Amino acid sequence: MAATKSQGKAFTLFLTGLTVATAGIAFFTSGSGKVALVVGLIGIAASFACFLKLRPLEGRTAEGTQPAIMKLAGVALALVGWLVVLFGLHLTASVSGRMITTIVGLAITLVGVIGILPVASSKNAIWKA
Amino acid sequence: MRINRLSSCIYALAIVLMAGAGIVARADVAPSAPTVELKDTLAKAPTTSALAAGDPGGVLTGTINDVPVGDAKAGLTLGDVANQVGQNKIGINFTWTLICGFLVMFMQAGFALVEAGLCRVKNANHTYMMNFLVYTCGLFAYWIIGFAIQMGGAAGIGNLGGAQPLNSEHLLPLFGTDWGIFGQAGGFLAGHPYDVGVMVVFLFQMVFMDTALTIVTGACAERWKFLTFSVSSVLMGAFTYPLFANWAWGGGWLAQLGSKIGLGKGYVDFAGSGVVHSVGGLTALAVALIVGPRIGKFNRDGSANPIIGHDVSAVMIGCFILAFGWFGFNPGSTLGASGAGCLRIGSVAVNTMLAGCTGTLGALLYMWVMKGKPDASMSGNGLLAGLVAITAPSGFVNPMGAAIIGFVAGVLVCLSVAFVENKLKVDDPVGAISVHGANGLWGVLSVGLFADGKSNYGGSWNGVTGSVTGLFYGDASQLVAQLVGIATLVGFVFSFSYVLNWILDIFIGQRVSVETEVEGLDLPEMGQLGYPEFVFTAEPEYMKAAEAEAAA
Repeated sequence: MAATKSQGKAFTLFLTGLTVATAGIAFFTSGSGKVALVVGLIGIAASFACFLKLRPLEGRTAEGTQPAIMKLAGVALALVGWLVVLFGLHLTASVSGRMITTIVGLAITLVGVIGILPVASSKNAIWKA
Repeated sequence: MRINRLSSCIYALAIVLMAGAGIVARADVAPSAPTVELKDTLAKAPTTSALAAGDPGGVLTGTINDVPVGDAKAGLTLGDVANQVGQNKIGINFTWTLICGFLVMFMQAGFALVEAGLCRVKNANHTYMMNFLVYTCGLFAYWIIGFAIQMGGAAGIGNLGGAQPLNSEHLLPLFGTDWGIFGQAGGFLAGHPYDVGVMVVFLFQMVFMDTALTIVTGACAERWKFLTFSVSSVLMGAFTYPLFANWAWGGGWLAQLGSKIGLGKGYVDFAGSGVVHSVGGLTALAVALIVGPRIGKFNRDGSANPIIGHDVSAVMIGCFILAFGWFGFNPGSTLGASGAGCLRIGSVAVNTMLAGCTGTLGALLYMWVMKGKPDASMSGNGLLAGLVAITAPSGFVNPMGAAIIGFVAGVLVCLSVAFVENKLKVDDPVGAISVHGANGLWGVLSVGLFADGKSNYGGSWNGVTGSVTGLFYGDASQLVAQLVGIATLVGFVFSFSYVLNWILDIFIGQRVSVETEVEGLDLPEMGQLGYPEFVFTAEPEYMKAAEAEAAA
């Protein structure tokens, strides 16, 4: 299945839901703002339900199923590295100390992003079969 | 002693009398010199009849006659003239910023040509349409919420009249300091943000955001499902981009690193190597990892096959359009041409030009020396890499620094393209991850190295007095601030984009079916071929074999 009317309807619903929800956020202090936020979120949820319903209609893709745990580990490591950088800024006030903690955190992040995630993403790639 | 007191009293009396005489004299004074001068100039101004005769020399047009008078009874006053001077300054800055914004908007055409040209003919319509729709999706998302998140707390843009209605930043207290996290004013541009200055800020920032969004379409071309691309682009324009842009440009925590914990002038990114290009490039990497390589890109042994684009002329023209638009991107980021050091625009424009030149040379010479041919698409990517890298430092470095930054970028893009393809096994049809992601990060880093401390935009940057100065000119703390920005881009922005698009993959699916991919995305996804009257030539054998294998 390629692009269809159902996809168009689901995208319209998503855009409408997002617009109403963000209007709710913009005018949250008013009563109608809160109502709009709830209605918008329901619209977004409904659009995602439609997306999920349409997904099986799509034909097989040229993509293998990749290990979710490994992908999660890659993302987690990327975030941990970033947090090391943030907390490192408060461990010391010296420029060299902060430089070291920042580089260490960045290195951890890079292990997650270019070390683990690409391996996870091509673990079961169809070109390997 | 008594004589002394008497003389003191007489002296004091004399001073009082003299002062009183002075006051009387001031009350009787004739009109001050400037007022007389105003009246004289008014008397000499061209009359209506003189103007009616025409002004071919342009010497009668634009005189004191054109200064609006506040109070007709009082006539023209110095106050009127001062108001007009203020209006002129803001008018010049509005015009400059808007025209630069229009130039950046035109870059979308350049991106469309480059990306479509580097793709196969069977996906041309799809690639052009992604570049077309990303403008609409991004603009809409930015209007409804993205702008508020990014600039909702950014009040105080003096060059554009202040933009005071953007005065609500959400703060997060951490380690005893309040850090800006996201803006809260400006959703739908409704309420107080219905303001002339805010409109200029919106337009200029919107086209920057759209540039970031369109980078992703290149890396995921020829296999990205149109529906998922649409939803992903809306979410990126609404949340991913604005969040980081707030931290860097909207008064957020990265910009506060200087004022709050003494790291240089805080994270500094003049025109967006990090905010625009790295955010786009890293999101492109995240989505490309999820969507996977095109059929036939990699062989079983992991070696990569070249999949040649269909129109090198479109690529070259697109690169020139982008280089032209970059003169809006970088010089426009002064947000004005009058006041607060804005005359640096000349230097910013020359730096931009030079870095593009040396970037082209770097890539061209690398390919020629290492691979034997002056590759056209890599030369184009070298130009773009140089421009991407100079975007952050363009306002703070000298021409020599700009040339070095550009040359390094040109070589880096060649190395990065090979690394992404051969080591990471990520398929990036246009080299967007390397051009924008890798070189965006290099641009951010280069501010912390090459900023020469000579540029002073109104005396301070990010609320810290003084000029931005990098490691090579004596300030190591600026380099740390830049590294924190890089870590945030790679650690947070990439992760956020990855998780967001992973969720979309679960609900919608990121990739088209095998049949659609083999046939080409134009007909199944768009309902129309890009070039309906073209005669398609047979694809190479390895592509046919890979397609048959994938279909099986």
